[in-house]
Amino acid sequence: MKDYLVTVVKNEKIAENIHAITFLLKEECKVRCGQFGNIAVGGTHLLRRPIAICKVDGREVTFCYQVKGDGTKRLQAMETGDTCNLLMPLGNGFFVEDTEQKVALVGGGVGVFPLISVLRKYGQSKEISAYIGYRNQNAVCGVEEFAKAHKFVGVTDDGSYGEKMNAVQAFEKDLKAGNRPDVVLACGPTPMLRALKVLVEKENLTCFVSLEERMGCGIGACVVCVCDLTNGKKARVCKDGPVFNAKEVVL
Amino acid sequence: MANLSVNICGVEFKNPVISASGTYGFGREFNELYDIGLIGGISTKGLTLEPRLGNPVPRIAESRGVILNAVGLQNPGVEHFIKNDLEWLKSTGTRIIANVAGKTLDDYKNICARLDGLVDMIELNISCPNVKSGGMAFGIKPQSVEEVTAVAKSGLKKTPLIIKLSPNVESIAVNAKSAENGGADCISLINTLTGMTIDIERRRPIIANNTGGVSGAGVKPIAVRMVYEASQAVKIPVIGMGGITCAEDAIEFLMAGATAVQVGTANFTNPYAMPQIIDGLNAWCDSHGVKNVSELTGTLQLNGK
Repeated sequence: MKDYLVTVVKNEKIAENIHAITFLLKEECKVRCGQFGNIAVGGTHLLRRPIAICKVDGREVTFCYQVKGDGTKRLQAMETGDTCNLLMPLGNGFFVEDTEQKVALVGGGVGVFPLISVLRKYGQSKEISAYIGYRNQNAVCGVEEFAKAHKFVGVTDDGSYGEKMNAVQAFEKDLKAGNRPDVVLACGPTPMLRALKVLVEKENLTCFVSLEERMGCGIGACVVCVCDLTNGKKARVCKDGPVFNAKEVVL
Repeated sequence: MANLSVNICGVEFKNPVISASGTYGFGREFNELYDIGLIGGISTKGLTLEPRLGNPVPRIAESRGVILNAVGLQNPGVEHFIKNDLEWLKSTGTRIIANVAGKTLDDYKNICARLDGLVDMIELNISCPNVKSGGMAFGIKPQSVEEVTAVAKSGLKKTPLIIKLSPNVESIAVNAKSAENGGADCISLINTLTGMTIDIERRRPIIANNTGGVSGAGVKPIAVRMVYEASQAVKIPVIGMGGITCAEDAIEFLMAGATAVQVGTANFTNPYAMPQIIDGLNAWCDSHGVKNVSELTGTLQLNGK
């Protein structure tokens, strides 16, 4: 973990309200898939924006973000050549065991981007099936990456792209058709993860979920971004997570 | 190289820059970024006798120039701290201020007694705006500030006691004096200001606790004024905090009457804020012919006087 002064290489719209920003670092940074960075957006914002790392290419790191509030609007306004501070890599990330060959990725909304980092890491060595849900066809993104998976099922809430269903339903449908993974890795809105948790527990599947929470420091010091564990304790999303075994967290 | 060391109640700090409670945990995470032995001291995450789970999330929100938090004193309990963090913290070479809170007067006495002689100083949190019982209740009325100070002090034989004052009061000067009358060895201020910020789409406060403590750059002028007023009212040393982001901010607090400062929210914006403030203090002293940073304390002169 290090605070890098980085330069914007490009910042472009990739889907409705979704943008991808690529920064150039002064040196290469070793990143595990599913880790995140804390981006200083400046202005009157004292908190950084914690965003999943989507891609790392040498010294270039790409983050994809939804423009939602003032902070992400500032991020959207950054232009090629602009500089900012970026603390990374943070959090534990996804890890696939040697014994796990078939991997299912279940993602929705902005949760699809950390899953792209998984695909880039394990796409060659593992048999990956990606079940990705979008709001509608305008929100569809990352397809060129997911298309590299062994199997890609893209669906939308309104049926304007792929079948009309959510990512968990797409995964369940394939599961019932006999495509049973060794491990499920997921990221997306809490209701999606909640539905997935019910399904994987019923099916007795190993599943890891990446969580999101409003953060303070991003490094585990301030205990702002906690989640409830099934053992009654709390865990820090930024430091103990963001990736947790689904059976260990309360969603 | 200026001499940055300061002495507070007989405790020697290598520089006057201390991490503020709740923003720095027990130092381990920041030690991954830099050697925390560089900083003057650490005021730990608020400790209670028993572990606490704290408030529901979201616990944090932003407003222009400030943040709001309502963590609600989540902590592993004082015994866990003594067993797991204390020795390691000592080994870093930084000064250790145990920040403590309680629900009852007895809690305050007992936790002070437990930590007496184990840490360099104890900072009493009587001003946490984010827990329903205890904390803040003791910090508002001057009589109760004096009472809780006296009770906590009765549990201590060796370790100097800092009373951390709430800004959410009628008169900071009166409360500062009450802490001194109760036997405080030092006061620190300001704790956070109680605030609220609203998600207008949902018509609900962003923070689950509804209100939160406001901190960060935007509160600095209020904090500087209060540090000035409090330091005028007491003879004991004052530790100033509230929105310090850079060395120049820290110098304002020293001039207003503080012997040392604490840095909190700035650690979130810039994880290297504290070492940079220390370097900046040194550079400022050198460029202004100040040999000892302690010479700056209380040197403010009001206009028209």
